[in-house]
Parts: sequence; structure tokens; C-alpha cells
Amino acid sequence: MARTPCSLVALGQVNALGKSNAEVAKGLFAGDTSGLVPRDLVPERSHLFGAVRDPLPEIPARLARFDCRNNRLALAALEQIRPELEGALARFGRARIGVVAGTSTSGVGDAEEAIAVRERTGALAREFDYAQLEFGGLAGFLAEAAGVRGPAYTLSTACSSGARALATARSLVRLGLCDAVISGAADSLCGLTANGFASLGALSAGITSPCSRNRDGLTLGEGAALFLVTGDPGGIQLLGVGESSEAHHISAPDPEGNGAEAAMRMALADAGLAPAEIAYLNLHGTGTPQNDPMECAAVARVFGNGVACSSTKALVGHGLGAAGALEAAFCWLVLAAREGGALPLPPHVFDGERDPAMAQIRLAAPGESVNAGPRPRVLTNSFGFGGSNCTLVLGADGDA
Amino acid sequence: MNVSLTRWSAWAPGIETNEAWEAWARSPAPLAKEGAPDAKFLPAMLRRRCTPLTRTMLAAAWGCLDAAELPALRSVFASRHGSINESIGLLENVVRREKLSPATFSHTVHNAQAALFSIAAVNRAASSSLSAMDDTWACAWLEALTFLERDPAAPVLVVIGDVPLADTFAPLCDEPAVPYAFACRLATEGDGPRIGLSLDEARDALPRPAWPHALDFLRWLLAGGDAPLALGARGTRYTFRKTS
Repeated sequence: MARTPCSLVALGQVNALGKSNAEVAKGLFAGDTSGLVPRDLVPERSHLFGAVRDPLPEIPARLARFDCRNNRLALAALEQIRPELEGALARFGRARIGVVAGTSTSGVGDAEEAIAVRERTGALAREFDYAQLEFGGLAGFLAEAAGVRGPAYTLSTACSSGARALATARSLVRLGLCDAVISGAADSLCGLTANGFASLGALSAGITSPCSRNRDGLTLGEGAALFLVTGDPGGIQLLGVGESSEAHHISAPDPEGNGAEAAMRMALADAGLAPAEIAYLNLHGTGTPQNDPMECAAVARVFGNGVACSSTKALVGHGLGAAGALEAAFCWLVLAAREGGALPLPPHVFDGERDPAMAQIRLAAPGESVNAGPRPRVLTNSFGFGGSNCTLVLGADGDA
Repeated sequence: MNVSLTRWSAWAPGIETNEAWEAWARSPAPLAKEGAPDAKFLPAMLRRRCTPLTRTMLAAAWGCLDAAELPALRSVFASRHGSINESIGLLENVVRREKLSPATFSHTVHNAQAALFSIAAVNRAASSSLSAMDDTWACAWLEALTFLERDPAAPVLVVIGDVPLADTFAPLCDEPAVPYAFACRLATEGDGPRIGLSLDEARDALPRPAWPHALDFLRWLLAGGDAPLALGARGTRYTFRKTS
């Protein structure tokens, strides 16, 4: 039985590179690192963060209880897909449209402010509402803001949350439980994650430098990416999903990369593709000492050194719970930019000093494009705390 | 999509066996506000690192599966609040510009219970962790259906649980707050009641049970007869039906 297609009909996004598909694409293909800026989030330490500096939309007054930075980022992405959403509302009705969103932070930054007020006054900030902090609040907010009445839930599996949300959205459509799903993720910079990763010694002193011999950790970022997902054929499709757990450690990946390899192989099998059919691979590529060697080893076992790879973490930072959706969005931009079989690639931005101890996968050079033929296929990896891995394969047929 | 609920297990203070839950289901009463299982099945090293919520959810998981399936099944972990109680101390550290404990930080991710399940059960199958305000139970069921969509041949373990919010946030959250966990094994085929779930738009607010939705589902499963069970706190109504 032919499976229902999964069309990523529309995309809205905001991150350190900008607040529209055009702005993000420009910075993505140019390898622009100017979005990483200093923020005073970790006491007595100076770090760069992939911060969204654009003004964000106001939360409507009727939804004031959801007003937090995380939801403003999500709203900035949602507003960009409003025209296609209106079309889906007219076509399917609001009860048939769901929301599946990923986050690892929710509105924890606003909870920090509420607790700071309590330290001074003895009571939490009056404008603070628990709906800002609880993980389910992101999906609940998006459903209200979009005016949809299908199921709405938040997935939070650390750094694979955003990728997993798209996997779930595809299944809800295939099951006939929804006709369309607003799916993606949002994560926001906050003291908790900045200081948490600092406590683990995981933050880079400068711009993160994935696959470098000098890599010293990750650069945190924030942002949101939301897709409108339907069962229509054509356009840019989610073709494959691979998932695994590691049974290894709460905050470190299996050094052999077995979980990463399993997720990639499963995604290829789900898409019905051979490794050689993948034209571009977006690495999880965090720039930590642990991630890059295990990921490169796993990529090399599956693909050899034939596929062009890049980490985009030096452009927008590590978006944690949003990363999987942000990077699926980058893959979407790559496919949307195809021209006569040629795919422009996001360059692998690092200090240029390859770590000779790691598997030497092929890293995309600045300005590079590949000839991917009439049916380009791309893949993105997301690996989370607690050993939660999710790999997605996207593709498109014919001209854009 | 109708599925078979082939096994289940639940834990609340003083109601720790399936027989005790059957008795509770026949004459349900409000549940105790405090308590956590000792989770002796976990190795001592790991147990020490487990929060009350983790011990409670893993106790239900271990009660639901036999030893052969613990390392094999895919899993859905659902909790409205997750590890937010453990985050409060970290938030206070941040506000006071104090150093954070890396171990505490690592265990406050929302998938901490899923991660510790994976480690303790040596389970490398796909797993998801979710939260959906008052509708967390119905959405956990949906998430399990999405796993069965991706691979209909392999059953899925669903584990839901919560513990009451600590005083910092409890006044902001109106709910029947009790420590509990419920686990069930769902399969496309197999022994056990067949259950369907349908979705539609809620026209009116549904009355809220005096215990968490998942336990109202368990009450209905064990003693609710043939009538459907409708749950839903917001715009969507989730109707569970026994189909055989």
C-alpha cells in the first residue's frame, strides 16, 4: 500500500540569521557568523550566543498568559506561514488541524525573571503564568494563536525535539487523525541552559568550531521554525524518519556512534534510499569534544566520504530543542534553492583545522554546490541528551 | 485506529497492585498526596540519581513489561510537569548567579525519565517524551499511535506520571495534584481490550475528574462498562471507546 505523502508545504523561521526564509537563506549559504553575539548569561564568563536581535511580534492580549520569549519566537515563525494556514483552515476546518511542537526550554527564561522578582519582593512576578513554563504551553499557545482545534502537544526529547515533532506530524496525517499539522520547534536563550551547559564545561570560549582539532564546545542559540505539514504530493517532502535511543549516559553520547548510525540507517530505509542517493547531510555537529568524533565515525560508516556535510551551528548556535526543526528548515531552504539539479550547500564553518583523529568525512566548502540530479535528497541529524536520536530525510522532485 | 491494550500497571501511594487498582476503580476515591515507590528493581547507583517522579514512572514501566520486553519495546513517556520541581533550585541558582550542579541540570531535561529507562532497561529502541497541559494523557495515546503507524508490528510502552508541583508554582496550577504513574502496552493486535480513540471539536467544557486523566481512563477501563469515555480540557474532545 502506498503511504500518504508528507508535504512540508510552508516554512516560517527566525534565528540569529534573520526572521524570514530569504534572510536566513542569505546568511546560510554565505556562512555568516555575525549573528553570534556576546550576552551576559554566565557570571564572570564571556560567551557568544546565537541571539535573535530582530524585534519579535507581541502576543495578542487574549493570550497574555502565554506571553514569554519562547512563544514570541514561535509566533514570529507562525506569522510567516499564516497565508498557507488560512488556506488549510478553509480546506480542512479548524478541528482537523493539529500542532506538534518541540522545545527544551519553553518559557524558562521568563520563569527566571519571575523568581528574580520573588527574591526582591517575596512574590512571583504578577505577569508570570505557569502556562509560560510548562512544556505543553508551547503547543497550547500555537493552537490558540493559529485558531486550530486539533490535538496539540509538545515533544521534549532535548536536542532531538524539533526533528521528532516532524516525525509525529507525518504520522498523525498518515493515520488520518489530522489533515494538516503545524509542526516544528522553538527554543529561547536563558540563564538555565547557558549556566547548565557551562557547568558541564560544554560552552566554547569563542565561535563553535565543529570537526576542528581546536574545538572546545558548543555555542548556544535560539530560534523557531514551523512547517505546515499536509498529506499532499509534490513540493518538498519529508521522506524518511529514523529514531534510536542509546542506553548509554544521561548527558554524553555513545563514543562509538552506534545510536547515531542506527538512526541514519533507519531514516534511509524508511525513505527507500541508498546512502549514495543523499546529496547533502546537515550534521548535528555541536563542536563538543564528544559529539563530533562519534558523529563523523557514524557518518563515515554509513556514507564513506562521498556525501557533502556541514554543521550550521557556527551560524545560528545550537538551538537545543529547536535545533532539529531549524536544521530541517535549512535542508528545506537547500531544496527550495535547487536549480536544474544543482543544490547550493551551506558551508561547513569552522577554523579550518581538521582534527586528524576523526573520520575524515567530506565537509562542504564555501560557495560549493553539488549536482543532485532531478530528485535531490538531503538528510539531517539531531542527537539529544539522554541518548535520544532522530534523523530526517527530505527530498523534492523536479524543478523548484 | 483501534489497538489492543495488552498489559498495564499503575502506582499511587497505597495502591500498588492491579488488584488494588481494580478495587479502587469499583469505588474510586481521591488519592493520597504524598509518597513514592522504592523502585528496588533499579541498581542502587542509578536509584540514588532518580527523582521521585522517575522512580514512580519506572515502577509502572517495570510492572507493565516482562524482562524480555523491557529492553525491546519502543516507549512514550508523558508528564505534564516532568522535572520542573528539580529545575526550581537551578532557577534560584541562576537568579543568585551561583554555579549549577551539572548532574542536576542533566536530569532536568523532560526526557530524563525516558533516558533513565533506556539506561536501566538497556533499551535502544525509539522513545518520545511529551507534555500537553491538561490533555497530556490523550496526547500520550496519540503519540503511541504514531509509533504504531511507523511500525505496526512492534508494540509500544506508554508511561505517564506526575508528582505534585512544589510550592513555588503549585498555586499557579489548578489540577488534582497527586503522585502517580500509569503504564500500558499497546499493540495493533493481541489479547486484551480493543480501544479506539476519536477526536472532535469540544463544544462545551467537559467536567474534570477528581484524579488525573490517565487514572480516570484506568477507572473506565476496569469498571466503566461499555459507555465511551470523553476527556478534553481545551478545544479538542478525545473520546475513548471499547470496540470489543
